[in-house]
Amino acid sequence: MNPVLGYVAIASVTAATALIGFFGLRFSRTTGDFYVASRTVKPWWNASAIGGEYLSAASFLGIAGLILLQGSDALWFPIGYTAGYLMLLLFVAAPLRRSGAYTIPDFTQARLESTTVRRITSTLVIVIGWLYIVPQLQGAALTVRITTGLPSWVGAVAVAVIVGVVVAAGGMRSITFVQAFQFWLKLTAIAVPVFFILLLVSDAPALDPAIAFPAQWAPSTPDPYRTVSLLVALLLGTLGLPHVLVRFYTNPDGVAARNTTLIVLGILSLFYVFPTIIGLLGRVLASDLAEPRAADALVLLLPGRLIPGPLGDGLTALVIAGAFGAFLSTSSGLIVSLAGVISQEAFGGSVRGFRIAAVVSIVVPLAVSLVAAPGGLAGSVGLVFAFTASTLCPVLVLGIWWRGLTARGAVAGMVGGGAACGLAIVSGGMLGPDAGVMAALLTQPAAWTVPLSVIVMVGVSLADKRHIPRGTDRFMRRLHVPEREGAPGV
Amino acid sequence: MNESDWQLPRPRERVTAPEAITRVPRPTIGPLDVDTIYVRSLVKSQLRLAIACAAGFVLLLAGFAFSFVLSPELDALIVMGVPVSWLMLGFGVYPLVIGVAVIYVRAARRNEAGYLSLSDRTVHDTGDNRA
Repeated sequence: MNPVLGYVAIASVTAATALIGFFGLRFSRTTGDFYVASRTVKPWWNASAIGGEYLSAASFLGIAGLILLQGSDALWFPIGYTAGYLMLLLFVAAPLRRSGAYTIPDFTQARLESTTVRRITSTLVIVIGWLYIVPQLQGAALTVRITTGLPSWVGAVAVAVIVGVVVAAGGMRSITFVQAFQFWLKLTAIAVPVFFILLLVSDAPALDPAIAFPAQWAPSTPDPYRTVSLLVALLLGTLGLPHVLVRFYTNPDGVAARNTTLIVLGILSLFYVFPTIIGLLGRVLASDLAEPRAADALVLLLPGRLIPGPLGDGLTALVIAGAFGAFLSTSSGLIVSLAGVISQEAFGGSVRGFRIAAVVSIVVPLAVSLVAAPGGLAGSVGLVFAFTASTLCPVLVLGIWWRGLTARGAVAGMVGGGAACGLAIVSGGMLGPDAGVMAALLTQPAAWTVPLSVIVMVGVSLADKRHIPRGTDRFMRRLHVPEREGAPGV
Repeated sequence: MNESDWQLPRPRERVTAPEAITRVPRPTIGPLDVDTIYVRSLVKSQLRLAIACAAGFVLLLAGFAFSFVLSPELDALIVMGVPVSWLMLGFGVYPLVIGVAVIYVRAARRNEAGYLSLSDRTVHDTGDNRA
């Protein structure tokens, strides 16, 4: 691949991101601006920003790679990534917005009236954020290596520096503009090449469908446990993603939060059509890439392979820009929410503290991504979802809907679910893929760790009935009572 | 008739008793408590709605997945070079997701509107009583 394409694409995305970021800087002045963009963002902007933030390396590169690698099982990933927002709409969107809290730790502390709960939630948010940033940086490393020939670490360091500077300088108001821009960039960057490939490529040497779509990887022969467990992780994990939740606080009210989520479902459904098409095309036209080290690069390589000349070069530059946009947007969204939590915990929530915290938030995952061996992008992100679903999802859902939840119950459930899920993932990674049932249970743990966390949380809360927080009814009213039009504060 | 015979010893009790009995529950359910009950029932109906939508979606999804297992001939039916079962799984679920979401958003707003009109009426009633 011509390295100039890579340099041009990456440089222009970076420049655009920085420009929009600093343009937005004029709007963010107070501490409140920095955290939640003053809560004046309109549903369409907000939905685009959520889409921009959510569609990470796993969506842009990982899904197509996984379809190429694992066949139809991988088609469940985008379904889960999208349907996660349905669960978010059903169980948390409006109440969480009405809670008036800035971050997940703010919410759990206000709901359960406990600083211990707050500290544990903060720790989990930070760990989840770091784990989620690592695959983004690894995706950046892969993209830079493949497109420019530079060593892998350059990509990871470049994304870390850009994101750190933009977040520390601009705060979230500018990030909202950046994210909304990134969504439409990503959609264009993947849709336009797909259209050209479908229009122009008819005479490429295609595999016979029976070979490209073999029966053992077809939808008629699913692995029931793994599929169910993956869906539990993706559907419920979305509820607890810190960078997604912070976005809901920028809606003006609960009804707007629901409308925003509806738009998000629409634009995600639209987006995921394209990586799915590339994955299916890859099975027919690029079967030589179907190996673990190369599959994630399918989206980057396919347009240039199929369309020769300057048009192919242009399309390649476009997908590189989109991929880089994906790393930048997801990482910056995560850094904003992590920096919010870290600065409130450690620096009393000042603007200067936010800037220091932003740097801390990116340095740790950068170090991890440089040391750890990269796994498949979609798979790594799937494990983060499993961990989130086993820790933050139960505390949010029970906190919003069940009066009986107590601080001790929440702590026990989060710690129990988190420990079980974390140990399973670590030991599953050491087992290797061929250890049968045990490997499935450990490498795809959500199907049992989520129920475990919920059972512990409910059980301990029931045994601890005397400590139901006094303000529970008042807080439940705040979460669920709709805002009256034109009469705030009723 | 003979009223005066037994009414005289304890006139006040006889007169106030029936009214007092019907009034007893009212003071304990003040305007605030009525509202708490409304809020709890709002929470309950919203939760029922959310669970019903989630369960409906999961059932649809399970039905979708089982339809492929039950009819493996979809794997052999090729449209535009791709087996129909792959196309259905790849593109067919999103309309379901959006459909369930639209139904939920409308129903949730209805629940909230119901609560608002109930609580408005209560506020007016208590206002009238006091006036």
